[in-house]
Amino acid sequence: MNTDVVTGPGEQGGLMPTLRARHVSKRFGGVVALDDVSIDVAAGQITGLVGDNGAGKSTLIRILSAVLGADDGTIELDGAPVDFTSPAEARAAGIETVYQDLALAGNMPVWANIYLGRELLRGPRALNILDKRRMAIEGEAMLSRLSRTMPPIDAPTSQLSGGQRQAIAIARAAAWGSKVIIMDEPTAALGPAETRAVEEVIAGLRDRGFAVLIISHNLEQVFRLVDRVWVLRRGRMIGDRWLSSSSPEEIVAMITGATAVLRGQGGTA
Amino acid sequence: MDYVRRYGIVVVFIALLVILAVTLPQFRTAANLRNVLQQNSVIGIIACAMTFAIISGGFDLSVGAGAALASVVGARLMIESGIPLGIAGALVAGLALGLLNGFLIAYAGVNPFVATLGTATVVRGLIYVSTNATPFFGVPMSFTVVGLGRTGPLPNATWIFLVVALTLAFALHQTRFGHYVYAIGGNIVAAAEMGINVRRVKLAVYALVGVSAAVAGIILTGQTASGQPQAALNYELAAITAVIVGGASLGGGRGGMAGTILGVFLLGLVSNALNLYGVSAFWQPVATGTILVLAVGIDSYSRRSVFAWR
Repeated sequence: MNTDVVTGPGEQGGLMPTLRARHVSKRFGGVVALDDVSIDVAAGQITGLVGDNGAGKSTLIRILSAVLGADDGTIELDGAPVDFTSPAEARAAGIETVYQDLALAGNMPVWANIYLGRELLRGPRALNILDKRRMAIEGEAMLSRLSRTMPPIDAPTSQLSGGQRQAIAIARAAAWGSKVIIMDEPTAALGPAETRAVEEVIAGLRDRGFAVLIISHNLEQVFRLVDRVWVLRRGRMIGDRWLSSSSPEEIVAMITGATAVLRGQGGTA
Repeated sequence: MDYVRRYGIVVVFIALLVILAVTLPQFRTAANLRNVLQQNSVIGIIACAMTFAIISGGFDLSVGAGAALASVVGARLMIESGIPLGIAGALVAGLALGLLNGFLIAYAGVNPFVATLGTATVVRGLIYVSTNATPFFGVPMSFTVVGLGRTGPLPNATWIFLVVALTLAFALHQTRFGHYVYAIGGNIVAAAEMGINVRRVKLAVYALVGVSAAVAGIILTGQTASGQPQAALNYELAAITAVIVGGASLGGGRGGMAGTILGVFLLGLVSNALNLYGVSAFWQPVATGTILVLAVGIDSYSRRSVFAWR
């Protein structure tokens, strides 16, 4: 059970995590959604976040992406404490979130969605003329770095499969110099083949050195994909495990609280 | 099926054009063609701007009242202070109405139907109060050059329409503003999540529609050299009909400038044909309504079967 020697691809021993939460608490009225929760998300790794419904997973990622503010605790990015007041600020600092709704405009072509809100322009500045050609070419390059099955770059995203749409949303998140990519159930709506394709895309992000955090309900997927998993139960962080040295039984036990569980080995300081 | 959706109106338009040209000698005359252009330029200007509102997921029922407002304000100022100030005043009046609509819709969150129906009713009422609902004359006759004059082969109103249409086509299809109009109509939540200032874009759309209605009102003033409180009655529905026949969807996110212009002239050709065949003018709304329902019906049906295949 010694996990100290286990390192994810790209991880250099002792390097500080890209994104970390320290002793974060969040209450909604009288309900404690998160109670003294800490988590590390390191570059070049896929970090998993699991737990039953209502365990606080969504609250935690919304705090990490600055959709919500924490009542207590701190968030650190590259070792420095940060206090974002909006998702736009977090995004500008390099924390991208892919939500389940994907935030795609189905009527618009693939390239337009990749560049949505950050369009490339040409010509006189005052006219704001779109550089469609460059967005199509560079958008295609962005997608091809991630995904083997390329959707046509000019197709409206409503005509694409769920997996292709997911890949576009992930490609968009991986652009723009982002460091951390947070994904909420990235394959929840997909069939088995599409799930595999999207998992490949996510594994590609790890190989390119991103710090990836995914919420997943699917333990098989967690074991296929994730390097290190953190378990929330009823608003508390029960612990974390390197999956190379854990078992589904252990994780399930942690999620449900079925058996006594050792405190996390990863060290939550 | 995608072909039918995209090019159906082009085929219908060309077919109608050929049938009319072959069967009706009077149709082919330069005078008649000019007449068609002249009659549809004013509604065309409004329809081009309305395209932005409809693609953004809304529409504007106040364009008729806006044109009348511009006509009355513009004519009054022309009589008292000269033509340039009259034109400027008409444009400012249209812009103000557009900004009010935009504020109500984008910032106060009022439904576009309610907001623009409300402002249309109020504005038309205020115009009637201030003019006793009667036209007033005294606009310099020289100004009829705008409404009735001709430069080269085309009526001046058509030249103005051409400039408006090309400018707005460029704005809609080549600039970031037009791009955001499509994004908001397609998925307003996504647009906001990706950092687009949704409210400001909507405000700009309704301001644009207001100014275009004013341009239409100025041309109408130039047709009669008078302020016309009754000007542009029901133009809002004619413009919306043309935009929808041109392939836009009231749900937002779909449509285009070329389609709108085809829609304007398709309806214009039908009305001209009925005229030339000597059909009673009362039949014209019947034809327009039938075309509207057919266009939307065929589109909806083709869309549904596409989804059924998947």
